[in-house]
Amino acid sequence: MGLLSGGAAEAGQGQAIPAGLLGPPRSRRLQPQGSAPRSWIPTMVLKVFFPSCCSSADSGLLIGRWIPEQNSAVILAVVHFPFIPFQVKQYLSEVQKVSQVDIVVLGTWCNNKQEKEENLGKFLDDLGTIFSHEPWLQISKEKGSKFWSCHTLSRQADTPTEDQVILVYYDQRKVMLSRLHPPEISLDNQPGVITAPDASKLAAVFDTVAKSEVLFMTDRYDDGPIKLTHWQSEGVEASIIVELAKQASVPVCMLLTGLLSLVSGLCKSRIFKFWPVSFIWSKLSTCEQVRYRLEHLRFVFSNQKAENQNQLMRKANIFVSLLVDVALGILLLSWLYRKNRIGQLADALIPVADHVARELQDLLQWLMGVPAGLKMNRALDQVLGRFFLYHIHLWISYIHLLSPFIEMILWYVGLSACLGLTVVLSILSDIFALLTFHIYCFYVYGARLYCLKIYGLSSLWRLFRGKKWNVLRQRVDSCSYDLDQLFIGTLLFTILLFLLPTTALYYLVFTLLRLLVVIVQGLIHLLVDLIDSLPLYSIGLRFCRSYRLAAGVKFRVLEQEEGRPLRLLMQINPLSYGSVVQTYRLPTYSCYPKDTWGSLCKKLFFGELIYPWKQKGDKQD
Amino acid sequence: MTKSHLNMAYRRVNGPGQSLTSILSHNNCGIHQPCRTGTHNICMVSDFFYPNMGGVESHIYQLSQCLIERGHKVIIVTHAYGNRKGIRYLTSGLKVYYLPLKVMYNQSTATTLFHSLPLLRYIFVRERVTIIHSHSSFSAMAHDALFHAKTMGLQTVFTDHSLFGFADVSSVLTNKLLTVSLCDTNHIICVSYTSKENTVLRAALNPEIVSVIPNAVDPTDFTPDPFRRDDNVITIVVISRLVYRKGIDLLSGIIPELCQKYPDLNFIVGGEGPKRIILEEVRERYQLHDRVRLLGALEHQDVRDVLVQGHIFLNTSLTEAFCMAIVEAASCGLQVVSTRVGGIPEVLPDNLIILCEPSVKSLCDGLERAISQQKSGTLPDPEKIHNKVKTFYTWRNVAERTEKVYDRVSREVVLPMDKRLNRLISHCGPVTGCTFALLAVLNFLFLIFLRWLTPDSIIDIAVDATGPNGAWTQQYSYSKKGEENKEISESR
Amino acid sequence: PYPEPSVRCEVVGWQKVLYERQPFPDNYVDQRFLEELRKNVSARKYQYWSVVFESGVVIQQLCSVCVFLVIWWYMDEGLLAPQWLFGTGLASSLVGYVLFDLIDGGTGRKKSGRTRWADLKSALVFITFTYGFSPVLKTLTESVSTDTIYAMSVFMLLGHLIFFDYGANAAIVSSTLSLNMAIFASVCLASRLPRSLHAFIMVTFAIQIFALWPMLQKKLKACTPCSYVGVTLLFALSALVGLLTISGVGAILFALLLLSISCLCPYYLIRLQLFKENIHGPWDEAEIKEDLSRFLT
Repeated sequence: MGLLSGGAAEAGQGQAIPAGLLGPPRSRRLQPQGSAPRSWIPTMVLKVFFPSCCSSADSGLLIGRWIPEQNSAVILAVVHFPFIPFQVKQYLSEVQKVSQVDIVVLGTWCNNKQEKEENLGKFLDDLGTIFSHEPWLQISKEKGSKFWSCHTLSRQADTPTEDQVILVYYDQRKVMLSRLHPPEISLDNQPGVITAPDASKLAAVFDTVAKSEVLFMTDRYDDGPIKLTHWQSEGVEASIIVELAKQASVPVCMLLTGLLSLVSGLCKSRIFKFWPVSFIWSKLSTCEQVRYRLEHLRFVFSNQKAENQNQLMRKANIFVSLLVDVALGILLLSWLYRKNRIGQLADALIPVADHVARELQDLLQWLMGVPAGLKMNRALDQVLGRFFLYHIHLWISYIHLLSPFIEMILWYVGLSACLGLTVVLSILSDIFALLTFHIYCFYVYGARLYCLKIYGLSSLWRLFRGKKWNVLRQRVDSCSYDLDQLFIGTLLFTILLFLLPTTALYYLVFTLLRLLVVIVQGLIHLLVDLIDSLPLYSIGLRFCRSYRLAAGVKFRVLEQEEGRPLRLLMQINPLSYGSVVQTYRLPTYSCYPKDTWGSLCKKLFFGELIYPWKQKGDKQD
Repeated sequence: MTKSHLNMAYRRVNGPGQSLTSILSHNNCGIHQPCRTGTHNICMVSDFFYPNMGGVESHIYQLSQCLIERGHKVIIVTHAYGNRKGIRYLTSGLKVYYLPLKVMYNQSTATTLFHSLPLLRYIFVRERVTIIHSHSSFSAMAHDALFHAKTMGLQTVFTDHSLFGFADVSSVLTNKLLTVSLCDTNHIICVSYTSKENTVLRAALNPEIVSVIPNAVDPTDFTPDPFRRDDNVITIVVISRLVYRKGIDLLSGIIPELCQKYPDLNFIVGGEGPKRIILEEVRERYQLHDRVRLLGALEHQDVRDVLVQGHIFLNTSLTEAFCMAIVEAASCGLQVVSTRVGGIPEVLPDNLIILCEPSVKSLCDGLERAISQQKSGTLPDPEKIHNKVKTFYTWRNVAERTEKVYDRVSREVVLPMDKRLNRLISHCGPVTGCTFALLAVLNFLFLIFLRWLTPDSIIDIAVDATGPNGAWTQQYSYSKKGEENKEISESR
Repeated sequence: PYPEPSVRCEVVGWQKVLYERQPFPDNYVDQRFLEELRKNVSARKYQYWSVVFESGVVIQQLCSVCVFLVIWWYMDEGLLAPQWLFGTGLASSLVGYVLFDLIDGGTGRKKSGRTRWADLKSALVFITFTYGFSPVLKTLTESVSTDTIYAMSVFMLLGHLIFFDYGANAAIVSSTLSLNMAIFASVCLASRLPRSLHAFIMVTFAIQIFALWPMLQKKLKACTPCSYVGVTLLFALSALVGLLTISGVGAILFALLLLSISCLCPYYLIRLQLFKENIHGPWDEAEIKEDLSRFLT
């Protein structure tokens, strides 16, 4: 029947009904006046992008790029008189070869400063026959007025037309240096801001200017055959230092790369592959952090040149973040090793651990009584309580065994601060994990016991109802059990049901403790991640040179008069800080649990273990 | 004329997110004309529509297409299917609204009786709908639409596609609800006489306002092709959802019985469902893997290719209002063997169908009769059967008859509020009647509130894609523009 | 608008078919409309005394619960020595076991294919598990309040009565669930008894009365209806006497309950049957009457 063919022939994009139907009638801002669709405008209007630094240049030829798809011309420079047409052509072809942009002569520029050049206009017209370009632009600035006129000349219809030209001024330096970002943020509500559909057009303009960097190298005072006016860089002297640094960086990089490969080779050596070592290695966040930093170092000091702007940015970001990290680390170091702070810390640590253990003991004693008036099974309660108490006893003796060495350990660990603050923080997190190992053990015992109970109860509850879980079909089937199966099942069900509250309470208390530890560790990791991933260089760039990171442009209307070309000033819209961070965020080794809140709660309810770090299974994925 | 063209151009500029409403209304101010006499603005409402597949869905689609052909304006309202939401256009400008309502169970939306009023009212007003035609008693949205349409004073028609028993508790409840829903509906359409009897009894209706208009089959889609089948063996085809109501349990008894008796007998089973497992068990148990093919779910366009591979079509349904499958099979030239349930005896003449009782034994007897006829060659030629069947049911005929119902309904008056309440209370029993009368009053108040919030006058009038002023139907004269439209729509 | 049926048409007559274009309007209502309507096709005629006989199962089950509760009360009060109960229970179990095979001459056992060794194993499992767990049972609920236990037991025993398989073919029936609920209740109650031996014997008794006794009853009812009536009467009487020793009012209420179930309810069923009006027709979902599972076994 035709329904399927109808489906294939179905046309049109759906529109969200609530917006379309129930909302108030939309304002027609995006609609042009009259009924002409807006997509026609670009095909009609000629856009000329004019560098603002050339507005006071002497008369001459306009050179730049013609973008036929958008019917727009990007003017890059003005060639002054006198010139020899052949030399101009040759020069342009050279530039073209280097910059990969087809730069051509677009038209003429007439700055009527002097009265005597009145007859120049005629001459300029004739130039069009030498440098054939379609269409031929004629831009002139009238003396004593701020009005400009712009004509286009085409071979077919030899009548200059004037009405459909838009002049757009742009700052050549800023446009060259800035990077246009895909507009992620909607700028809909600001008038005159060009958004998504026009982004690709703007990108072409930006690209053209950025690629023609070669053109701007020529100095104003060069005695070449051709005189140009365009933006010129001022600080040539400073760039010498940069050059020197560049030269010096190559051997430094080589040396560091060699060292790094040695270190990483050492890390990869056999010793770390054996089971207990590799297991501990993978569980300690310090190791993860060190490995992560090593990777960064290798990336920064690699011999390969950054392929594109993105990679360059990334290198710079990593470099700055490394610097900041190490600086913070050394600051901490200097603070720690003054006035025997390490010793104080070590002295404080043991009592704290003792205190925690004592608190736990008290908690267990409380649980073994009648906690919060809950009626628990006395026998099971006693058994569990004694079991945990014994563990605490073991723990305390272990801590006391360790106490003489604590200060020494801390002293050496403190030295690692020169590797960076993040490494110290990771070590702190690991030490914290070690010191709360008893809580972790309790949690695991409690969770396993509870999990077993829940699992048993759920399957016995199915038996109680005369059902069973069909593994093959993944569903609950009804099943006829034998009398003895039923009897034993129900007996066990009853026993488990009445013992559940006791286990559940132990599980609850230890889970809460465990969660506390996990939260503290998570906070430390969050801090580490923040330092690791914050694109400091990009943020600094945005702060100091906001035009370097452009989100888009906005146009300001300079003048609008009947019969004159519309003149607009193009200004760069800087990227917002949020999107800077979003775009340039450095990837980190994420150690958060990947669960959503819902699945975390589910896991907690069913007594499955939760880890703050990556699990073995996740790693293989 | 060029409205739709402009629409398209606008949409190209503004992108998918842009609301059409403003544009349409912009172009359409003042075009509001009374429709030509004899044509109606019809709104089909059902939870079941494409991309869901089934009898109701194709009924709505085909009927709408034929009504558009006859010059009516038709729109369809259903709920959103996954990503498919908003407005879509199907062949010849059939506009479909996929409303963002929550699906509760079995593709039927949840109903609170009120929450759909704002949306439906907006659609009814902006499309200038005069007749609401709801489909399927399983569809909550269809009943909601009836309820709201009566509140708004629009004419209502309801098509019942299914049969219901009276025995169990759930059917007592659903029948009560149907009574309420249909007690003030202008006209009801049933797909077979049995269905009519059933509906009249269930909803306690006057049989005079119930018309019988059967379903139809597009005969050009189901043509016989005797060369596709293997005449060395006899193939029995079964195409249905594999659920209890379709009698798959009977099939699981028939297959071993007949396969043991006839070594040259094959089965092809098309369809998917929870009962597939028992067919697989039977196949396993009797080692019939080479003789019983389970094809799984079939696309609708593949059904014919499966049908023509067989000689005999078997339908084991336990209840059926009309049964399109047997008509499709007969149209493909197959001998049909079916259970004698529901409306099936009315569908095909006796020489084209073998009717059996719903038991393994009776069905086996029927099949054996068909097999012996096939072996002796006394079965009529598939081409002959096709030529005969294709005259029985056509969508044009269905549309014609439905149009008559619309004509009749449009001359009737919709009960005013007071009479409607009286009828509800007198017709549906004291408790249910009063409850629903109260709900009707609340609905009416809600409607007044909505009218105050957004008066009808400020609701934009939609462009007619179909119907007397239909932009779509007139665009073909401007072939160039039409082509451009098509291009745009395809690129979307 | 509608062509009125002309004289010629009436000669042709209306047919209940869809494939022919008939000269009648679509909403035409024929004489034969609803002629296939049937009423009360599957309604059954009940005999009073047979219904009373069938109600015996309910009486039996009520009495079982009653006897169990009475025995528990005696144990709790210390009026009944656990050894005595164990001895009686064991003896009656043995008698019942012998009877179970004697009644049908061992045909039932042959059909089910269950060996005596399996029976012995089951019995051993019951006794060892109950005995092993009885200390646990004893301490299981000591921290839970007595009222909670009573409420839970009542709830479970009611559930046992509701879900018990009285022979009706309804979705709610689940003999597994019913038995499990009874065992659950007995474990709850047993944990309230003074010593672990008491608990062990109470649970054993629960198995005898809730699991084994109904099996014997079923067989009695099927093979010797007369003796079944006798046993039922005797059992009811003993339950009543047991209850009487605890509370006279309770016994009277229980007697009234038994009487109303066995005499009044059947009477009402037969009276209400007259008002039955069940509509049937071709639209009904056909019922599969055969047993189709034979193809899959």
